[in-house]
Amino acid sequence: MLACLLILKQPNYGYALLDQLDQSGFAVDANTLYPLLRRLEKQGLLTSDWNTEESRPRKFYRTSDQGLTLADALRRDWEELHAAFHALKEES
Amino acid sequence: MTATTSTLTDRYVDLTLRRLPAKQRPDIERELRASIADAIDDRTDAGSDPAEAEHAVLTELGDPARLAADYADRPLHLIGPSLYLDYVRLIVAILVTVVPATAAATGFIRILQGGAAGPVIGDTIGTALTTTVHIVFWTTLLFAVIERTSSLRAGPARQWTPDALPQPPSRRARHGAVIAEIVTVVLFTTLVLLSPVVSTQTDATGDPIGILSPWLWQTGVVYGFLGLAIAALGVTVAKSYVRWSVPVAVTAVLLSIATTTLLIWIAASDRLLNPAFVDAAGWPSEVAYWTNAGLIIAAVLAVVHAVVESAAGFAARSWVTPSWKPMIHTIVEKIPARAPRR
Repeated sequence: MLACLLILKQPNYGYALLDQLDQSGFAVDANTLYPLLRRLEKQGLLTSDWNTEESRPRKFYRTSDQGLTLADALRRDWEELHAAFHALKEES
Repeated sequence: MTATTSTLTDRYVDLTLRRLPAKQRPDIERELRASIADAIDDRTDAGSDPAEAEHAVLTELGDPARLAADYADRPLHLIGPSLYLDYVRLIVAILVTVVPATAAATGFIRILQGGAAGPVIGDTIGTALTTTVHIVFWTTLLFAVIERTSSLRAGPARQWTPDALPQPPSRRARHGAVIAEIVTVVLFTTLVLLSPVVSTQTDATGDPIGILSPWLWQTGVVYGFLGLAIAALGVTVAKSYVRWSVPVAVTAVLLSIATTTLLIWIAASDRLLNPAFVDAAGWPSEVAYWTNAGLIIAAVLAVVHAVVESAAGFAARSWVTPSWKPMIHTIVEKIPARAPRR
């Protein structure tokens, strides 16, 4: 979820995002990602627009300001956890 | 895209949308179709056969029912972990109290009606089974509805605190006391309500003569009394689940006083026993007098107990059971000149 919020600073649509996450090392199933995007949108963490310029209409998601704030908080938590694990490894 | 491949996707999308709220459908349909088409294109570009590609993509997306539940944020379980403990506790509490009570009441009535041993046992077991099925079904239904109603589920969850830990005497013992009280009240209520129709005495036309005064039914006092008793029982049950609080403590003591006052009034005005029953049973006239007197004494003791218990509860700000022995000792020691009166 954090990865979604971070990657979607650049607007993107479902299938391409799946690819992008996969390439960045986050293996997510399509049937998990699509509903997740909807939920994040409903919570106001993502905003969306339909892009109908191309041959196939696509829903582009982008992280909202609220989503950016949450992503920052989550990233800090994650880094603290990471630092804690690191310290534990050093000690042993 | 060939006709056959489009049908497979159409069927998949249709099945998914059917399980979604109508207002979400158009948007999700467009997105889902675009995503599936993108994935298929990717595979055909890599050299797959279009039909195989579609099959693989839909297989990856999985069961449409599961996908729809994910979209709609619908639980895929009947009762989730947040409610499960409450569910089990409630169902056990109801089962161990109501099932024995209804079974006993059925057996009792059948015996009074003069049934043979076989049918009596059969009816008792049948009632127990029916009651169990009803209790389990309705409780489960209630919790499944709560699980699916976000406004009910979102209520402030009761935070577990160490205060909820059992105190000596152990929680098991207190539960035992609560269960005993529930069984007593249920049996008592059943007997009182049945007393006009089930009796050892009959009048000239063969109709039963109730042991309790018909005045109680004519005025509705009996229903008021039973209502108070059941309300008091509710407070007792609540006391074993919630922390001590002023409203519950005040309600408990007020209910107790109201119930006993009503009982004292009924007994003091000699409106408890049915005079016709006393005559029919050939009891001496003193029986009514001593029954009333005994009830009044018991009611006064009950009120004293309730008041002392709630006073001790207010002092300790918790549900305490007063232990009379040390309390009487204290009183005796403090007032050595005067003998303690019970």
